[in-house]
Amino acid sequence: MASNIDTLAQEIQGPSPAALLRRRVFGHYGLLFGVTVLIVIVALAVLAPLLAGQDPYAQSLVARMKPPFWMEGSDPNHLLGTDHLGRDYLARLLYGARISLAIGLIAALISGLIGTTMGVAAGYFGGRVDLVVTFLINVRLAMPVVLVALAVVAVLGGSLQVVIVVLGFLLWDRFAVVMRSSTLQVRGLEYVNAAKAIGCSTRRIILSEIMPNILNNLIVVMTLEMAHAILLEAALSFLGLGVQPPTPSWGLMISEGKQMMLFEPWVIAIPGVALFILVLAINLLGDGLRDITAPENRS
Amino acid sequence: MAASLASGNAIADKASDTLNVPFTKELESVDSYFNSAREGVILQRSIWDGLLFSDPETGEYKGNLATSWEWVDNTTLELKLREGVKFHNGEEFDADDVVYTVNFVADPANGAVTQRNVNWMKEARKVDKYTVQIITDGPFPAALEYLAGPVSIYPNEYYAEVGPAGMGLKPVGTGPYRVESVEPGKHFVLKKYEDYHDSPKGKATIGTIDIRTIPDVNTQLAELFSGGLDFVWGVPSDQAEKLEAMGRFNVVNESTMRIGYLEMDAAGRSGADNPMTKRAVRQAINHAIDRQAIVDNLLKGSSKVVNSACFPSQFGCEQDVTVYDYDPEKAKALLAEAGYPDGLSIDLYAYRNREYAEAMLSFLAEVGIEANLKYLQYSALRDLRNNGQTSLSFQTWGSYSINDVSAITSQFFKFGGEDFARDEEVRDWLETADTSVDPEVRKEFYAKALKKISDEAYWAPLFSYNVNYVSTEEVEFVPSPDEVVRFFQVSWR
Repeated sequence: MASNIDTLAQEIQGPSPAALLRRRVFGHYGLLFGVTVLIVIVALAVLAPLLAGQDPYAQSLVARMKPPFWMEGSDPNHLLGTDHLGRDYLARLLYGARISLAIGLIAALISGLIGTTMGVAAGYFGGRVDLVVTFLINVRLAMPVVLVALAVVAVLGGSLQVVIVVLGFLLWDRFAVVMRSSTLQVRGLEYVNAAKAIGCSTRRIILSEIMPNILNNLIVVMTLEMAHAILLEAALSFLGLGVQPPTPSWGLMISEGKQMMLFEPWVIAIPGVALFILVLAINLLGDGLRDITAPENRS
Repeated sequence: MAASLASGNAIADKASDTLNVPFTKELESVDSYFNSAREGVILQRSIWDGLLFSDPETGEYKGNLATSWEWVDNTTLELKLREGVKFHNGEEFDADDVVYTVNFVADPANGAVTQRNVNWMKEARKVDKYTVQIITDGPFPAALEYLAGPVSIYPNEYYAEVGPAGMGLKPVGTGPYRVESVEPGKHFVLKKYEDYHDSPKGKATIGTIDIRTIPDVNTQLAELFSGGLDFVWGVPSDQAEKLEAMGRFNVVNESTMRIGYLEMDAAGRSGADNPMTKRAVRQAINHAIDRQAIVDNLLKGSSKVVNSACFPSQFGCEQDVTVYDYDPEKAKALLAEAGYPDGLSIDLYAYRNREYAEAMLSFLAEVGIEANLKYLQYSALRDLRNNGQTSLSFQTWGSYSINDVSAITSQFFKFGGEDFARDEEVRDWLETADTSVDPEVRKEFYAKALKKISDEAYWAPLFSYNVNYVSTEEVEFVPSPDEVVRFFQVSWR
């Protein structure tokens, strides 16, 4: 009898929010694919020293341009072959994943911090603050990112730190735009007014009333900007103004292999495919997160 | 895609008597005094003639537009000119053309881009219709080399009328090829000049040379496969090997006069306390780099390790100098002796052949020198060097294909902007050698200078470059070490 009542109650109440979320997550194949691939890449990057088994900087001019395992004449010590200086391609690819992920993550964090602060301030305070922030966003949107990044890196000289900082300071515009409009949507809602009415400080209202309600948007933008930063780093390194050799970077590997494209397409195909998969995974993750957190998909 | 489109309009074969070739760089002007590119030199040799001709095999001077020549005194060269030569536009060649051309280009106000090619001439004087005198600005023993090289003779009436701009669009010379059409920077068509005089260059055999600018080597090779091009040069060694293995192409490798070297700031221009001011550090760098491995695996072909601060075939390039073998242990010991037992960190500047620079980074890292690569455009790096801001840089120099040490060692060790040794003794020896007309004296003083440069390890001379020439099997071509493609010596098989 008792169990009968339980089922009846469940039918009336419907599934719990957690169960609903789980259902949305596991029903979204894009999201699942993105998360799985990303976890694998992160694991590979973290475990690079164990998996590669070789020093990505160790050069051996006599063993250069060895083909990868599926081609004739490959060397079992170098599964993905060796590059133009005889360095192990697998090791460079794995260590390169670290560089790409680090750049993507840190640049997105820096730009997220800048963009969110500006966007939330503009949306919450409105008035002059909003005017100033909107002006800054417009100024920033008027600048072509790649061109500015090229110019700054050319002046300061390319290095990992410079690239991260430059990208971090250039990619905050989308955060600011999205955070500003999200804040505008929630700032007039009852719970915010209620918090104001009982005398909460501005800081408290922003941090514990507004932020949690716009966090889903922030995470989505964060993933998109991370993918954007990774691609830009690859582009800058390809042009010779990003990460400097001998640091392994996928963009640099593509750039170094460009000359050999006609006869040894694998030299650029390997880092190219890796870059494609990583950016695709992050974008699928961002897309999926948006889908499962957006209000219209919650019902 | 680009290859298939382009090959549609270019019928490239022996049957049509058209040789299709690419230029890698966009040539700024065809006027040979107003460009500084290798492509310009190649066109210059085909379109114009110099007073003399230097046999690429023996280096012997032969008369071209001049038939005989003689030094009247240390600064006056008298030349008898060839009679009966006609320019492509029908203008007759005589002393007026020589006088006009020399006086025009020697005047710095007219702005010839490579001043060192012309600024050794003060003026030219007409003696009679077929005799001229060239007055040099001080004794200049390498004069003949320049007269056989970059100094080409222009038609005076035409040049006076159209100037360098007109000459760039519709070039007129006496050379084995006349210019049919010019699309600046893009497309040049040369036709065999039927009335070419009896010059040591020899008459051209191929009827038409069709030149297009194709900047990317991969695109050039794709066109070579599809038949859009017949002849390509400057192919990187890895690709050249693959092409040779295909068996469809002739691959010829020839060394060039260009050498690569590391320039070290011994004079302390970039900072008086920089590690390069210590001789032991410079010697350590010389010992640290396995030049033979770089030559064998990266440059390949006919490249060689060089030990002296010049290309071995150049006049005065002393070979009996201190040689630094590859010896990382010795390098470490020298570093410790200089006060850097734990190694040091330094910026390595470079502007071309990034892969060679990267290989050197790795060799330097092995002995404890952590070098950060700063890869710049040539012009940017040249500015930094002129301001004395680089303490270690990977440089190359092609000497403008001039087979004389004055074109390289004197260029870099006579207190110019690119002199990081600032050694007065070396400068004085070079000065003596540069201005002496006695070959023995020149040799002796160049040797002294080069020996000291090696002993002090002002440079780390690395290797000579090579060029791969790739052509279809119909094309017959013998390259020369001066990196100049002479179309009039290309023929069909």
